[in-house]
Amino acid sequence: MSRELSDSLSNLAPEQRKELEEKLKKMSPEQLQELQKQQCIFCQILAGKVPSKKIYEDEVCTVIIDINPASKGHLLIMPKEHYAIMPQIPEEVVGHLFLVCKHLSKALLKALKAEGTNIFIANGPAAGQRAQHTIIHLIPRKEGDLVLDLQEKLFDEEMLEKVKGAVESKLKEVLGVGKAVEEAIEEQESKKKEVKRAEREEDHTEEKEIIPLHRKRGPGEEEFFITSLTAKRYHQERCAFAQNIPADKRIVFAKEEASKSGLKPCTCVTGKKIHLKTTESKIRKERKKTKTKTKKQPLERHKKQSEKKHQKQHQKQNENHTKKHTKKQREEQLQKKEGFVSLDDIADLFK
Amino acid sequence: MKCEHCDIVDRNTKAQILYEDEEVLVAVKDVVTTPGQITVFPREHFTILEMVPNKILQKCSIIANKVGAAVFEALGAQGTNIIIQNGLGAGQKVPHFSIEVIPRRESDGLNFQWQPKHLAEDEIDLVLKLLKEEADKINLKEELKKERKEVLEQISKNGKEVTVKDPETKTEMKVEQKNKEDYLLKSLRRIP
Repeated sequence: MSRELSDSLSNLAPEQRKELEEKLKKMSPEQLQELQKQQCIFCQILAGKVPSKKIYEDEVCTVIIDINPASKGHLLIMPKEHYAIMPQIPEEVVGHLFLVCKHLSKALLKALKAEGTNIFIANGPAAGQRAQHTIIHLIPRKEGDLVLDLQEKLFDEEMLEKVKGAVESKLKEVLGVGKAVEEAIEEQESKKKEVKRAEREEDHTEEKEIIPLHRKRGPGEEEFFITSLTAKRYHQERCAFAQNIPADKRIVFAKEEASKSGLKPCTCVTGKKIHLKTTESKIRKERKKTKTKTKKQPLERHKKQSEKKHQKQHQKQNENHTKKHTKKQREEQLQKKEGFVSLDDIADLFK
Repeated sequence: MKCEHCDIVDRNTKAQILYEDEEVLVAVKDVVTTPGQITVFPREHFTILEMVPNKILQKCSIIANKVGAAVFEALGAQGTNIIIQNGLGAGQKVPHFSIEVIPRRESDGLNFQWQPKHLAEDEIDLVLKLLKEEADKINLKEELKKERKEVLEQISKNGKEVTVKDPETKTEMKVEQKNKEDYLLKSLRRIP
């Protein structure tokens, strides 16, 4: 819409331009479409407000003769609805338009005895589109007239590969075929799996919250207690005695009313000991087994001074003890003491 | 075969194929006007536009439209031209029907503009008369209905179910091709 309106706007004075721009911003898209139809010449032709020479009319499209033709018999085929460029047109309409072109080119070849026909579509002003309405040009041709000459050249293979690499993926996405579609399907499946995983994790976390294990809770943490009609004590929820009470006979009361009830608290409430059901007790026992029974060595600072002295003496004795053991060392020591003489030396004197 | 496009189908040339189907091919050729030109053509050999059956033409045109839409983003084109060269006088070089999609930019060097001629009103009226006679013979609805009937007749011999879209009501109908004999046989079996 912008091009036509901007062209018409440029002709007006700046003050009027501002007023119009403000109006345009306030209007809804439906009103903008109506404006487009009023501005578009071809929509007015199709509505019958501007005189024209129609050849064929249909529910979907009409065919008229061009006022500035390239040759005798130049026809314009256009859909009745207003579309700016071809990619906006729905598939069925496109197919219908081309079928109409086919029949009309047959008619041209018969009636005007043309040697060939050209079908020409321009999308965008860079391609030569002059009007804001999509038009298909059907031009009868003869040899030698200078209408549409496509001069062809040879190109390298590199060009072909570049074009293929650039266009192939986008084409398959647009057509709904190939890797792009497969990737999209994989993404959907992975998303579904993630959603399922999240649901499972939620379930797990809920289960964990329901069964708090081994951690002892003091009397101040519980909110409510459970008893039955014939009981003498009141219990926590996770106590095995409370879980054995059937649901019909359970009585639940808050922490504040505990003293008024006249019942004694169970050991689970006081915090000394908890009687858990079999599953929880089994888990505790397994944990005890897996723990290695190593004696914890007391820290050095906790030892008494006498013990530290003993240790030092022991270390020194051990060092000396190792030397005494060998025979040679014993003899040496004996010789060192007070000039000891061996018996062999004395035996020579007595002979 | 001298036909280049049939050689592309048989993979005897250097052309790169972008999309392939049972009926249609999309390829990039060696000998083109600008780099980026893409040709869309049917697999079977038809020389000119008038010989192509309706269904295949519709498919080719839809795919050519989508190629034009894809080229805007992929090659950075500012516009596209879709051209069919039908007949020797129109410049058809390969005797195999094809649609060409040419991406355009502002400073291309290409010029497809023509100089408009000025015709007298007598000639215009003559053209009007002749063409209207021919155009009145066109009845697309009946042609499409006939084709659909033929398809249904073929399928009724096999005895399958077919879903058919009515263009008038725009709903899908399930057409069950039951043979008359089955109904009579069923009635026979009911008789004790």
